[in-house]
Amino acid sequence: MTTTLAPPGAPARRRVAAARARHALGRFLAALARSAAIFVPVFLVATFVTFALRSLSGLSPARIQLGEDATPEAIHRVEAQWGLDRPFLVQYGHWFGDLLHGNLGASWSSGADISTLIGLGLGVSLSVASLALVVGVAAGFVLGTAAALRHTTWVDRAITGFVTLISVMPAFVVGIVLVEVFAVALHLFPSGGYVPVAQGFTPWLEHITLPALALSFDVVADVARQLRASLVAAYRENYVTGAVVRGLSARRIFFRHVLRNGLGPALATLGLKFPALVGASVVTEWVFGLQGFGRFANDSAQSGDVPAVQGVLVVSILLVVVFNLVVNLVLARVTPAAQRGV
Amino acid sequence: MVRRVLSLPTGRIAVAILTVIALLAVLGPLLAPRDPLATSAHTLAPGSGAHPLGTDYLGRDVLSRLLDGSRVSVLASLEVALTALVVGVVPGILSVYLGRVFEWVTLRVVDTLVALPFLLFAVAVIALLGNGITQAMLVTGVLVSPLFYRVSRAATLTVARSQYVEAALIAGASVGWAVRRHVWGKVLPPIAVALAQTVGVGFVIVSSLTFLGIGVQPPKPTWGGLLASDLGYLSYQPWAPLAPALLIMATVWASNLLADAIRDVSGEAGRALVAHRKVRAGRRGRTEPAPAGGTS
Repeated sequence: MTTTLAPPGAPARRRVAAARARHALGRFLAALARSAAIFVPVFLVATFVTFALRSLSGLSPARIQLGEDATPEAIHRVEAQWGLDRPFLVQYGHWFGDLLHGNLGASWSSGADISTLIGLGLGVSLSVASLALVVGVAAGFVLGTAAALRHTTWVDRAITGFVTLISVMPAFVVGIVLVEVFAVALHLFPSGGYVPVAQGFTPWLEHITLPALALSFDVVADVARQLRASLVAAYRENYVTGAVVRGLSARRIFFRHVLRNGLGPALATLGLKFPALVGASVVTEWVFGLQGFGRFANDSAQSGDVPAVQGVLVVSILLVVVFNLVVNLVLARVTPAAQRGV
Repeated sequence: MVRRVLSLPTGRIAVAILTVIALLAVLGPLLAPRDPLATSAHTLAPGSGAHPLGTDYLGRDVLSRLLDGSRVSVLASLEVALTALVVGVVPGILSVYLGRVFEWVTLRVVDTLVALPFLLFAVAVIALLGNGITQAMLVTGVLVSPLFYRVSRAATLTVARSQYVEAALIAGASVGWAVRRHVWGKVLPPIAVALAQTVGVGFVIVSSLTFLGIGVQPPKPTWGGLLASDLGYLSYQPWAPLAPALLIMATVWASNLLADAIRDVSGEAGRALVAHRKVRAGRRGRTEPAPAGGTS
């Protein structure tokens, strides 16, 4: 009986699978479109503000290249050479067009290609930021889940206290403490510098561990707090009571019902947290003497190298936008509420 | 509201710490036992009778530098919070009333500001616009203003569409009365929470910026700047960063605690009304020290 029913069942199952795949693809595209509708204007506004910085700052390459007592003719010549005598909107159009081709222009101080300079620093910063994210998410997940599962016990209170403590420590304070303990006192890790991964995995990891830890504290605190709150809230939902009544195991309830619904806010915070992570790299790279992206931003800003600063800002905006797109897509995939299109 | 906040133990702790910090900011530069800029031959000395917290790498008295730097650090974070308040709340409330175009534009701008890696932006913009503490604080204030925009917009939306406001207006109440009676009680607590949070956030940003040497010229002491100068001499003076770091952390913690306390006492709609009454009652009979601690 079952064998005779199987052949007609198979195509039907395949049809269902195909429909489900189409549905999943549709959802993916919808999430992508929704995110793009938010982030394209963000990108346009942010790049415009970035470009307007030069006019607002009133800085000019002539000052960097010729010094304070240059003649007006010389200043004019240098500015014309950089195309700064054209109307503002023409300059903007030109700059934005180059931007879309991945060309960020040349540095005022060194004349070098900015994309190349940023590319050099980005490897350092992204290594540190990714490790910080991994550490932050893992530790935050463990702490948040433990606090939620042991809600209102001393475990919960201890974790909440610890999380509060690390959330009020600015990245540079954490950095200094880490250098003191692990580099100066215990000699476990180098206090600064960077070794590319090509020169060996272990030295690379050793050099980025402390900066990544310093960056990750903020993420740990946010993820743990958010996850604890939303897991506690999810445990109060009716579907959890229903699952308990149906006799499902505690593990199944946690992973299938509570976690998937409680994960949303924590993931969403992660999307919001990423800009802060990129921003804080300015400070940690300074503490640990890394020649990264944030350090490059700081140095160019302090020397008044406007195109370099603009380039850094554009790249950072791009990183944030891409990261948020990814988070939104993961969110659309993971949480049941997002799948219903709520 | 001040009294309600003070009725919570956490609120009392927060207000106490913030009052001490505020006093440090007001009196600190006067209390400094020595000239914070005077160098001496006793470089990197440990704590002693003459120099309770020791001296730094140029032989300057650390305690004096700490006390002298407190005013800049605290004032700057207040400036950040107030700038953010003005820049955020006004468009936040207007976005409910001024029509869809204004609403759409401000929402996009706010999305953008939230998405910006703002420490990076603050560093870039401040350095390019001229390295002064006022520029620094204005820029940072604008960058953190989305919180106020969202909070005030959300509160205004709930009030503007609520039936009791409509009913009050139909019953012949003047707009001013309706605003005082119904709107303030709803809108003020979330804004107060945001203000307390922003003071904490502003404090972290200010100390990060001064740590990088942005906003304040080097010889002038700030808490962040003290940490930066300690960084190179950690192996000689491992305890030097403790005092400024603890001060920064205590301030941030107290601000967060205050924000939580305000949020707790202004929970549901009914309590908001009570809180509102108490604010009005408190406004008449308020004493001096409480608002100083409450607002900082």
